[in-house]
Amino acid sequence: MLTPLQPSRVRRAARWADVRHRGLGMIAYVLNRITGIGLVVYLYLHLAVLSLLAGGPGAWDPFITLARSPLFLVLDVILIAGWLINGLNGVRVTLTGFGVGVGSQKAMFVGLMVVAIAGLIVMALMVFGG
Amino acid sequence: MNDRFEQKQTPSWGWFWQAITGIGLIVLLALHMIAHHFVVPEGIRDYAGVVEYLRTPIIVVLEVAFLVTVTSHALLGVRAILFDLGLSERSERRISQALTALGVLTVGYGLWLTWTITRQI
Repeated sequence: MLTPLQPSRVRRAARWADVRHRGLGMIAYVLNRITGIGLVVYLYLHLAVLSLLAGGPGAWDPFITLARSPLFLVLDVILIAGWLINGLNGVRVTLTGFGVGVGSQKAMFVGLMVVAIAGLIVMALMVFGG
Repeated sequence: MNDRFEQKQTPSWGWFWQAITGIGLIVLLALHMIAHHFVVPEGIRDYAGVVEYLRTPIIVVLEVAFLVTVTSHALLGVRAILFDLGLSERSERRISQALTALGVLTVGYGLWLTWTITRQI
């Protein structure tokens, strides 16, 4: 039996999402969490959509038209942003967890986020450029 | 608690495996995206294209490896978020068991789907 969550406990647990008056490290932590939660939701949505493949071409092929619509392409770009932020921030967390670059975490975070923005622009152009 | 960069991390086995699967994902996700979307003219394969794609055994191995790695990484992340709620040791154990079961079901579903498609070959 799971311990029931008390309202005060929930408030305390949700405090991580409040980045007001917090440092850059907290912003990095919250960004990783939000993108991580979004990517888990996407993973299961993706697996659910792939179940159409079990229905053969009659079920899958009509979905392709929808997947090529501008709305889906915008969602693809949001997804790519989530991957880049979570992935590159994850590289920083992994490196520092193994003792690499601990003293230059802020610079590493800023640098990796610049790479994420550059990567996002390139990939968005690829998505919309066909 | 003002700045996470100032906090000393104490890696656990969960953190370690999430890091390892994260490193694996960089390679596997890149391969998945290139093979599934970037080299496909319209960005997504039709049914015949998916069946043709899965005709190569190494592709099936890579896709299954990707599924196992991404599921492990995602559910370890969920576990870390839930553990931050400050639950009892017993609750944490139950969460680990539930997420392990969910991971097994997820991979099982992926294997079933792959098998269902490759049967068309």
